[in-house]
Amino acid sequence: MASIARCLRAARPSTISRLAQTPCVRSSNWQAPAARAFSVSPIRDIRKYTKDHEWIDLNADQTAGVIGISTYAAEELGDVVYVELPEEGKEMAAGDTLGAVESVKSAADINAPLACTVTAVNALLEEKPGTINQVPEDDSHGGGWIAKVSVGEQGNKDLEALMDLEEYKAFTGSDEH
Amino acid sequence: MALKLSTRPFWQARFSQNLPLSPSRIRGGGAVRHFSAEIASHPSNRVQIYISRSSDPYLNLSIEHFLLQKSGPDSVVLFLYTNRPCVVIGRNQNPWVEVNLGLINRPGVLALLRSEAAALRRRKSREWESEIDIGQGKNGESENGHDDDGVLLVRRRSGGGTVFHDAGNVNYSVICPPASFDRDKHAEMVVRALHRLGVRSTRVNERHDIVLDVSSTSSSSSSRSSSSSNKPDNTDGTSIKTFKISGSAYKLTRQRSLHHGTCLLSSPNLPFIGRFLRSPAAPYVKARGVESVRSAVRNVSRDPNHNKNDNDGCERREKITNTAFEDAVVAEFGAMYGNVDAEVVGPAEVAGVPEIEKGVAELKSLDWIYTQTPQFTFSTHATESDPRPRPALPPSLPPEFRAAMTVRHGQITEVGGTGLPESLTSTLLHEVDDWRSRTTSEPVGKWLNGLFGARGRPGEP
Repeated sequence: MASIARCLRAARPSTISRLAQTPCVRSSNWQAPAARAFSVSPIRDIRKYTKDHEWIDLNADQTAGVIGISTYAAEELGDVVYVELPEEGKEMAAGDTLGAVESVKSAADINAPLACTVTAVNALLEEKPGTINQVPEDDSHGGGWIAKVSVGEQGNKDLEALMDLEEYKAFTGSDEH
Repeated sequence: MALKLSTRPFWQARFSQNLPLSPSRIRGGGAVRHFSAEIASHPSNRVQIYISRSSDPYLNLSIEHFLLQKSGPDSVVLFLYTNRPCVVIGRNQNPWVEVNLGLINRPGVLALLRSEAAALRRRKSREWESEIDIGQGKNGESENGHDDDGVLLVRRRSGGGTVFHDAGNVNYSVICPPASFDRDKHAEMVVRALHRLGVRSTRVNERHDIVLDVSSTSSSSSSRSSSSSNKPDNTDGTSIKTFKISGSAYKLTRQRSLHHGTCLLSSPNLPFIGRFLRSPAAPYVKARGVESVRSAVRNVSRDPNHNKNDNDGCERREKITNTAFEDAVVAEFGAMYGNVDAEVVGPAEVAGVPEIEKGVAELKSLDWIYTQTPQFTFSTHATESDPRPRPALPPSLPPEFRAAMTVRHGQITEVGGTGLPESLTSTLLHEVDDWRSRTTSEPVGKWLNGLFGARGRPGEP
């Protein structure tokens, strides 16, 4: 699917922009991928997708994550004109409504991919909802991510049910979504 | 929310309470079906049709939301309802921008506007010796008496812009699995229903609205709307005017998708709709969220005073009743998904269903209607972020008057300029009943009352 190529492109600036913000501190980390060839990124250790077209990035110890909607979903929804963000501190089970996006007269729920607690929201989306269309899978400052969350035991269990990029790619390529 | 898709629909609540069945306004066959969880979850119940006989918009939207959340994940549901007069804003809209709150908050406003219009017509008919029947204003209204002369304000759960509903407007709603979600699919279904009723020149436009093309051979028109699109036809000088007769909005949840729309069949309040949907505060407000797109509207049913030179593609001259439209939509829905009997629902059938009662309470709450408004700023003068030229302020205001406010979740978070006191901070905008008591200047208070439609205006009619 064409959207997959885009989401890879969207993921890249996330890494670069973070490195650009703190070039000195990160310079030693930057060599890490060579040492840890299995890791895609030194910042984003795990990325998973839901059948409802959300993504979640998790850190290595799976305690904190960032949630957004996939490029595929952003394209399907069309121009996003408003994003309803969750309240900080809100606790959610997998599948609970995390927020909503409005596009082309449609209010679409965004669901929590796993059990989590909201620790921060992307306030930029209030002013520039179109960011979701431009960089939906960017979890950096200026990106289209929706919320940062903390993740506990239940969330780690829920993670099992989610798809990796290859699986999600196959899923959106099929008719089942 | 983890949608627990219960297959226990609300009709069971009714049966479990042994309430009598509703009088059978059952369509499509006639037999009353006795439901059970087994039948409800059975594949044969994949197609469901409901017609509401309540005119309460809060109840109808809550029944609709219940069906969205509780109907089987593979089922397809049609729900038809007609509301008493109300202005319905979209999920992420601003009532102070979209609605003339001062006007709709006036008790019996429709009766007032009708008598105003009648007086105007009488004057005109004397001038022009025309034979306009001023008694027309009564048609299409239900028997609910004075209740129908007031206009309710409703915030719905779906996206999109602001619409007006009344007894001459039927709402259709289709709930289906999101995999088959298509913004035009069911608007096309309604167009086929209208074609079935003899209204040929309707179609779905690029905004997913249903529009009616009216060709006119003369340059004059009964419509005073200047915003209708005029496309001159170069063959014989006829022009085509396009009017919106139905708008669409959508709600997508994890498991289901909902498309609902309005259909203006014979609204007696058509001439007033524009006034309800024009807020005096709009030029001063810059709002996040969704702004409505204005369209020229008209009724599907031919206006009794309609211009004889207009060809609206309607083969029938008589009024298209709500029932005829409902039957046609049910038939087209049946043609798509299979014919089933329609079930009538109303207050009795849904009484005691906790999700619906909760839904009604939420939709009626001022918190839902007002404080769910996306952030906005109000400023009497052009600002960097809102450089639009403002209308001239009334001469009664102090000449140096400047004011600005930021309103977040319906609450004033910042006061700027010189004209408003800092003490307004943290006030909920909709709770200000009389701005005169919140400002030092009587004319300023009066002006703001008008802009924001403040309700309690002691000493004023």
